Amino acid sequence: MFRYFSKYWFDFVWVMTLKEIKARYKRVILGFLWAILNPILQMLVIGFLFRFFIPVKIDNYFYFLFAGLLPWNFFSYTFSKCTPLMLNERALIQKAKFPREALVLSIVFSNLLHFLISIFLFAILALFVGYLSLFKIFILFLTIVWLVFFTVGISLLLSTLFIRYRDIKFIVQALTPLWFYATPIIYTRSLLPGWMSEILQFNPMTGIIELFQSVFTNNNLILDFHAIIFGFLISLLILIVGIYLFIKENQFFDDWL
Amino acid sequence: MMKIKQKKINKSTVPLAIKVKNVTKTYILRHEKPTLIENLLYKSRNEIYVALENVSFSVQEGDRLGIIGSNGSGKTTLLKLIAGITKQQKGSIKVNGKIVSLIDLSAGFHPDLTGEENIFLNGLVIGMNKNEIESKKKLIIEFADIGKFIDAPLYTYSSGMKLRLGFSVAIHSSPDLLLLDEGFAVGDENFRRKANKKILDFQKQTKTLIMVSHWLEELERNCNKILWLEKGKIVAYGGTEILKQYKKYSN
Repeated sequence: MFRYFSKYWFDFVWVMTLKEIKARYKRVILGFLWAILNPILQMLVIGFLFRFFIPVKIDNYFYFLFAGLLPWNFFSYTFSKCTPLMLNERALIQKAKFPREALVLSIVFSNLLHFLISIFLFAILALFVGYLSLFKIFILFLTIVWLVFFTVGISLLLSTLFIRYRDIKFIVQALTPLWFYATPIIYTRSLLPGWMSEILQFNPMTGIIELFQSVFTNNNLILDFHAIIFGFLISLLILIVGIYLFIKENQFFDDWL
Repeated sequence: MMKIKQKKINKSTVPLAIKVKNVTKTYILRHEKPTLIENLLYKSRNEIYVALENVSFSVQEGDRLGIIGSNGSGKTTLLKLIAGITKQQKGSIKVNGKIVSLIDLSAGFHPDLTGEENIFLNGLVIGMNKNEIESKKKLIIEFADIGKFIDAPLYTYSSGMKLRLGFSVAIHSSPDLLLLDEGFAVGDENFRRKANKKILDFQKQTKTLIMVSHWLEELERNCNKILWLEKGKIVAYGGTEILKQYKKYSN
């Protein structure tokens, strides 16, 4: 009835994404402005908090913090929303045959829009300070592509697993903060003992976050090619497993709802 | 135009609309919500429930098939399999043409979006493309008789309005096969008449209709073929004379 990447498939993903975005701001007075206000407020609060109350010895800590927080927020919001997604959308799944991956992709893309707005605002800030160059913007683009593919992979994987194992939701809830601290977002790996730093390079988010940080700050020492290569391979593996399981299982989703 | 199509039916080479071959559908029975931790700790002790066992039959284009059987005989499972909502473990199902199920009409609507936005969403879910929806939008709205509410969010709709909108989108998606589950009833008397007329029109176009019902008179009136399921197996498949056997069996 439908093929992957056909016109119908793209239309479907597009309409579902629009639905996600519209539904979020539908009954809110400021509407879409919230998409811009939210990250700014968050930036101010956390920036203030860390700047004055928690002394960390990293140059330009404010930029450093946001370079890591913005992608992390996109990533963690998306996969935690996607985990129980098939249960929340059971009315749709039980109604007809349609490309179910569009449900996951619509969450990823609507969150991506918010993420891109925040990154854009943040980049304007960075432009004023003079940290950004054309080459860095190119690296930024590639990093975002990597992040999006990894987010899609893990979201497909978790939403598929959740159908069969309902406690996945609680496992994800419990592990997300741990993952946050196991990713160099509020610190750099140079502050850690060597063995710990080496373990963290197997976390795909390490490479991704460090790329964001090196784009937005002046600190090139953050970059570590081991973390990027390991991270890339592991995220590729997760993406392949996620897609494979989702394609195999999505025909049977209805049986478990 | 209609006469020509009617003639076509009488020929023996009527193309198949649905071909169901050796289909077995099983469900894993669980008594509580499934969890990963439990699965890791204890080896699985799942019971398997056979909903359909080695079912084979075919439906010709233009047939109006009624499915009967007592509760739990696998009628709804069969509809779901034909609609592609779920998949069989064994066997194959071939469907020629576009299929639309009127199983749950108000499903697939988002409460915060307007009627118009929901027409798009619902239309895509049941397999229409964007241009198709755009060109039929007016007809859909008119038939559903939503009036000014079309620009209002769906949570302001009465349940009857939602059903009407759901039915209108489904019937305007120009399906080749229509699936009706039991308890299918839409809106008030006036709208029901309109809906029934639409379904009759649909039948006249020699399109295929499959309905599940416990109301035998309705089946006798609307169907030319009857499939009788019991405990996941076919008891009988043929003309409406099966309804009499079924009546005897039930009593």
